[in-house]
Amino acid sequence: MEEDEFFGEKTFQHFCAEFIKHSQQISDGWEWRTSKDCSEGYMCKTQFQMKPGTLVSHPGTSAHVQTCLPVEEALELPPDDFEVTETTAGSEVVKYEYHVLYSCSYQVPVLYFRASFLDGRPLALKDIWEGIHECYKSQLLQEPWDTITQQEHPVLGQPFFVLHPCKTNEFMTPVLENSRKINRSVNYITSWLSIVGPVVGLNLPLSYARTAS
Amino acid sequence: PICTALTTGRMTDDKDVLRDVWFGRIPTCFTLYQDEITEREAEPYYLLLPRVSYLTLVTDKVKKHFQKVMRQEDISEIWFEYEGTPLKWHYPIGLLFDLLASSSALPWNIIVHFKSFPEKDLLHCPSKDAIEAHFMSCVKEADALKHKSQVINEMQKKDHKQLWMGLQNDRFDQFWAINRKLMEYPAEENGFRYIPFRIYQTTTERPFIQKLFRPVAADGQLHTLGDLLKEVCPSALAPEDGEKKNQVMIHGIEPMLETPLQWLSEHLSYPDNFLHISIIPQPT
Repeated sequence: MEEDEFFGEKTFQHFCAEFIKHSQQISDGWEWRTSKDCSEGYMCKTQFQMKPGTLVSHPGTSAHVQTCLPVEEALELPPDDFEVTETTAGSEVVKYEYHVLYSCSYQVPVLYFRASFLDGRPLALKDIWEGIHECYKSQLLQEPWDTITQQEHPVLGQPFFVLHPCKTNEFMTPVLENSRKINRSVNYITSWLSIVGPVVGLNLPLSYARTAS
Repeated sequence: PICTALTTGRMTDDKDVLRDVWFGRIPTCFTLYQDEITEREAEPYYLLLPRVSYLTLVTDKVKKHFQKVMRQEDISEIWFEYEGTPLKWHYPIGLLFDLLASSSALPWNIIVHFKSFPEKDLLHCPSKDAIEAHFMSCVKEADALKHKSQVINEMQKKDHKQLWMGLQNDRFDQFWAINRKLMEYPAEENGFRYIPFRIYQTTTERPFIQKLFRPVAADGQLHTLGDLLKEVCPSALAPEDGEKKNQVMIHGIEPMLETPLQWLSEHLSYPDNFLHISIIPQPT
């Protein structure tokens, strides 16, 4: 189809392929999926985390820190280095699925995600909102319907949460301009995902940045 | 009226088409699901549903009617089903009917549920704000395709509000006072940048097909509905000398395949500014 913009579907697929190559090298779990009846595809990854709202406190600090630690990291902390002073009753493991799709309307990638407990019970939108990283909360409080909403996944047809794509160009333009200035090519997907991912608990190991695109 | 104009090719006043689309109605019979717990028998509820609106926006009376015979504790989020298929409230009513029920006799028989919300199939609809947010999100996406979002972004918040209020209160003039701006295009062009459309079929896994498609060809010729289908959904069209297998339906009618796509976009779009097109098996 038409690709007169710098970020068309083919470009999206190219950057995703590069991204997945690195993911495979470091076993970061990203895969490419296509639907049976079309050529378009998307990237996806599944990850397990502690439910947002689990409070873990270190000795010597009075502040409670709300974190969203990957389960492996939480379990690795040696017992005498931290003290659990308070946990929400029955803190549970949550399964997060992240999908990266291409929006031909906005010609940018879009992050879809859903979360459920291990028994299949889905997390509600308000639970998702509560688990958002502190620094994004103020924007969300002003315009909750603008940033994360529940929508139908365009390939699977099932309910997912979506980070709305209409502001993507706003924050990606400086990134791309800077990379042009310093004459260093950048993987659009890596840069974009490193910005939007942490909002919803998805973090990228630093080695992605060191990979030439 | 739209039927005659588009199937015979006779010119009709374009404004009449807009009104006919807006005021289209589907006679519907709502019946309470038999396993819902009631204190007494629930009578079915009859309603004319606006084709261009959304189920959760126009069924307050339905909800009240059935809640009268139920206990508070047996009521949670309402959802609707047709012949075993949960109905997606975020699809326009006319689209749901054309896609799922147009070959059946009227009235449209919908089952009402108040428990066991199908989390895997349906979006939640916690409030009217959620419907407004969804509607406006579609309008914005359509304008991203038509005008690179320039027209929608130039509008004030009160104009956006007017689109929503016009839809919510069934006010054609109020709605179109703003929507007409979304239907304009620069004098030097022959149409929008890309046409906002979605093509639905029940036979595929994917919920819909949506791609970039220009209303005007490189040589300046206007693309037709047939051109669109040939490019993005060739299986919908009958083979050269074969039998017609499918109906291509918008707002309950089958426009001629020769109809220019730009004209369809300006006149047969839903209030969200998308052409929602159903491909359904030809009724025998």
